[in-house]
Amino acid sequence: MSMHGMRGLSVFISEIRNCQNKEQERLRIDKELGNVRNRFKNEKGLTPYEKKKYVWKMLYIYMLGYDVDFGHMEAVSLISAPKYPEKQVGYIVTSCLLNENHDFLRLAINTVRNDIIGRNETFQCLALTMVGNIGGREFAESLAPDVQKLLLSSSCRPLVRKKAALCLLRLYRKNPDIVNVDGWADRMAQLLDERDLGVLTSSMSLLVALASNNHEVYWSCLPKCVKILERLARNQDVPQEYTYYGIPSPWLQVKTMRALQYFPTIEDPNTRRTLFEVLQRILMGTDVVKNVNKNNASHAVLFEALALVMHLDAEKEMMSQCVALLGKFIAVREPNIRYLGLENMTRMLMVTDVQEIIKRHQAQIITSLKDPDVSIRRRALDLLYGMCDVTNAKDIVEELLQYLSSADFTMREELSLKAAILAEKFAPDLSWYVDVILQLIDKAGDFISDDIWFRVVQFVTNNDDLQPYAAAKVKEYLDKSAVHETMVKVSAYILGEYSHLLARRPGCSPKEIFSLLHEKLPTVSTTTIPILLSAYAKILMHTQPPDQELQSQIWSIFNKYESCIDAEIQQRAVEYLALCQRGAALMDILAEMPKFPERKSSLIKRTEYSEGDTAEQSAIKLRAQQQTSNALVVTDQHPANGATSPVPVGQLSLVKVPSMITTENDTSTDHPLSQQNGALSNVDPQPPSADLLSDILGPLAIEGPPGATVQSEHNAVSGLEGGSDAADGSAIVPVDEQTNTVQPIGNIAERFHALCLKDSGVLYEDPYIQIGIKAEWRGHHGRLVLFLGNKNTAPLVSVQAIILPPAHLKVELSLVPDTIPPRAQVQCPLEVVNLRPSRDMAVLDFSYKFGTNMVNVKLRLPATLNKFLQPIQVPAEEFFSQWRSLSGPPLKLQEVIRGIRPMPLPEMANLLNSFRIMNCPGLDPNPNNLVASTTFYSESRPAMLCLVRIETDPADRTQLRMTLASGDPTLTFELKEFIKEQLISIPTAPRSPAPPAAQPTPQIPPNDPAAILAGLLS
Amino acid sequence: MIKAVMVMNTQGKTRLAKFYEYLPVEKQQELIRGVFAVLCSRAENVSNFIDAESIFGLDSRLVYKHFATLYFVFVFDSSENELAVLDLIQVFVETLDRCFKNVCELDVVFNYSKVHTILDVMIFGGQVVETSSSEIMKAVEEISKLEAASNSIALIPKSASGWRSR
Repeated sequence: MSMHGMRGLSVFISEIRNCQNKEQERLRIDKELGNVRNRFKNEKGLTPYEKKKYVWKMLYIYMLGYDVDFGHMEAVSLISAPKYPEKQVGYIVTSCLLNENHDFLRLAINTVRNDIIGRNETFQCLALTMVGNIGGREFAESLAPDVQKLLLSSSCRPLVRKKAALCLLRLYRKNPDIVNVDGWADRMAQLLDERDLGVLTSSMSLLVALASNNHEVYWSCLPKCVKILERLARNQDVPQEYTYYGIPSPWLQVKTMRALQYFPTIEDPNTRRTLFEVLQRILMGTDVVKNVNKNNASHAVLFEALALVMHLDAEKEMMSQCVALLGKFIAVREPNIRYLGLENMTRMLMVTDVQEIIKRHQAQIITSLKDPDVSIRRRALDLLYGMCDVTNAKDIVEELLQYLSSADFTMREELSLKAAILAEKFAPDLSWYVDVILQLIDKAGDFISDDIWFRVVQFVTNNDDLQPYAAAKVKEYLDKSAVHETMVKVSAYILGEYSHLLARRPGCSPKEIFSLLHEKLPTVSTTTIPILLSAYAKILMHTQPPDQELQSQIWSIFNKYESCIDAEIQQRAVEYLALCQRGAALMDILAEMPKFPERKSSLIKRTEYSEGDTAEQSAIKLRAQQQTSNALVVTDQHPANGATSPVPVGQLSLVKVPSMITTENDTSTDHPLSQQNGALSNVDPQPPSADLLSDILGPLAIEGPPGATVQSEHNAVSGLEGGSDAADGSAIVPVDEQTNTVQPIGNIAERFHALCLKDSGVLYEDPYIQIGIKAEWRGHHGRLVLFLGNKNTAPLVSVQAIILPPAHLKVELSLVPDTIPPRAQVQCPLEVVNLRPSRDMAVLDFSYKFGTNMVNVKLRLPATLNKFLQPIQVPAEEFFSQWRSLSGPPLKLQEVIRGIRPMPLPEMANLLNSFRIMNCPGLDPNPNNLVASTTFYSESRPAMLCLVRIETDPADRTQLRMTLASGDPTLTFELKEFIKEQLISIPTAPRSPAPPAAQPTPQIPPNDPAAILAGLLS
Repeated sequence: MIKAVMVMNTQGKTRLAKFYEYLPVEKQQELIRGVFAVLCSRAENVSNFIDAESIFGLDSRLVYKHFATLYFVFVFDSSENELAVLDLIQVFVETLDRCFKNVCELDVVFNYSKVHTILDVMIFGGQVVETSSSEIMKAVEEISKLEAASNSIALIPKSASGWRSR
């Protein structure tokens, strides 16, 4: 074929092959490129044959890894050649060399379109192939309708139609906003009636793509898929050429079962029964045979059937059958099947409650840890990690430890991290935990992160019983000849603190312990020396009665390091020396370290560290707010009792009436209102000066618990209250009309959105009241405090606050006082418990009366989904294995989202971070992608890891593809929708007051009247 | 979808590289090198899978098959079945074998354009379009016929210039 006509190309290839080294090859290629460039320059003398030859040469050079930055025009121009070979080369090379954004492609669109709508089938195929390979936007715009027509045309040969199906698929994947597939459900179902298996294979791929975005529309395709599967499984009407090693089109069987996994359930009982019969037949009828290829094909079908069974969550009986099969697979000779067996077991752990059955295969899984194939060993490690619990932790961790010494270096870090996590999570007793970690440090010290040894120290410090044990243990390790530096660190710390507990044992006198440690000093780095110095100081302090010899030895060491170039070492040496010389003072300062606050497992611990960070940040924010805004909610920085220590942000601190009230606000808003409503005469039109106000009211609101304050106020103003009640009685004007007269200050929706991102701020404000909110979130618990601040000199009465909680939240609001005294603020704590993932929102129905004004507002409370998230940085290996085991819907969902507000990637990462979804840089090599992780807390389930991946298109920032994975289908869906909403409409902060209709309120579920009202009021 | 198809020899020389998502040439080479570095350290009689996520990013899988001096490597995402892709490699190689009668590395090197043609008949924009070896052969032969028909005409103007410029 083409080659035989192109000797020039063959010769060129042989010459390249004969090059002795890379340098020669480069020279030869540069020469050739120069030659081709020259030939193309005076194009006149170039025959189509020559063009074709040069273009193939270019493609060859490109494959070798050299950039070919010319001749693109020539490649594109070949497309319009009338003869097949030139046209073919034009198409093939264009799709290899050019990307979708290349300008030259535009030149070819017309030719390509003519080829597609023309009569020549060969040309149609070429054109479709190129469009399918490139899939550019402009192609989609001008060609998608033509391709759709081809696919449905009955006069087309199957060869063309299957290409049309895939071409459409590709255009749709890349440009879902342009390719219109509305109303395609019927046509898709029609396509599945096709008999030709080639066309069916392509159509099935198209269905997978369409259904993955929106399965609901394609319900009608479901029974047809089952029919196709049945036809293949029973081998009815399957032509010989589609039988592969005796199996009827394994590829189509697999694709069909994959398509079925995009539908959450099968409701029609008949279809369901048929499908399960087929699945049963596949599960039972597959055996391992000698022929490798046949094995692969039959097991491709079998593993897909397993995945489908897992997805449809069949009767328990079928599940245990699946586990039994997998148990058989992990022991077979065929490595591919062992690999997939382990992988699918891990996946199964995620979906169903089969842990107990899987445990029966523990021995075999442990054997797989010694498999010659590293890919299999990794899967075995993932599985062991996943199936570990209190009952088998000891066995599994000890296996991992044993394996550690022989494991590849590439796996050691992951292995030791996993062993450490498991040991901590499931330790039956703490001395075992200490043993495990010390062994880890001993065997794989280089791979032990500081986190791990810090953790051991925490445990030992917090458990008195453990201290002598740990001290004795580390001493044993120190006695060995080669000791890892991390071991020196732990030992120094533990022996410094607790070696005195061993003093009576042989070989454990302070002197002996000291010399054991000091031996190591010459071998360690400067980061370890400070720990050793601290240990010496502590040992010296614990030596009773004092040992003069030891003292002079240690003092001389401190002396020596007093002039050390390392500042940390120097400082310690100087300080310890000074302290030692003081004698008694030493006792206090070097006393045993206090217990650490209790923390959870190391993974969750990471979360808590970051939580600490955010708390600090919010403290900074809060302070910044105090300086710039006049918000009513102000944490008290100058408590009346004169205590100067700053109030920890963690605790809800006392809140006082602001020392400054925005006078502008008051005058500008109060004034017109008091004119409107004559009844408001009791409002003082000129509020007293800010200073005066704080002097008068400050102590009142501050002292005592808020309830008590309110109570006394309540009594004090009862007379007033009665007065306003009377006023209320006389006002017969309908309440609605009255409510309209009070305009909120600021934009309610914007305030709400801001509160979704931070934990304190103003939720609502109008001329009379300001409602501030301060929240603390811990796991699935939330503690909110509503600050109801009366801005006026008259009381607000008939105050009512009712929470309308959605089904997934348990909300408890403490008693709200009926009256808010003038210029006072009351606090109403609010407890929130999250039961399960949902985007529904709690609504605060708040009303009060001021004079004759009855005000009622419905406010969304910022107890949104993201508040129950905790950012977490997942190590790469952990992320990958989780991502792999959450293999597809409903646990992993993907969606192409259009109409995104365009923003640079770092900004999107920041946005996610602000929703407590932590960006994990470096996990995805593609710079246009973003990978993030978080954990979700609810009462019903333990913390759930959620993984997010966003793929952006640098050419079109308004669309992206998002994939979300977690172990809970509802969570996956809800979180996906939540992030989607945030990406689509981000409230732009500095918005000039816009008409309410223009406010973005997508978060409001359409059927929630309260929320709609809240939206309207904004 | 299938993200890339690569054929490389046991020395790491690329014999065929086709990426179904556009990547700049340096990036392509980097990936090929990354794959080879892992493949060359793999023993015989182990599984046909390696971890691809560290090279190609999340959701990537890699299946390869080793024939004589060549590695055939397919990279794809989680929407494909690993063993089915392995079948596909087998179909590809069987088709090459039918085409070249006992295919060897040199056939792939010198009939570089034909290998491309076969691949295009099998895989279309990252999706499998034809899985039957005999159907692929049919399509390839049809294309050869077309080429031969027009080549006989095209060959006439082919002159010494073709020789000179190799």
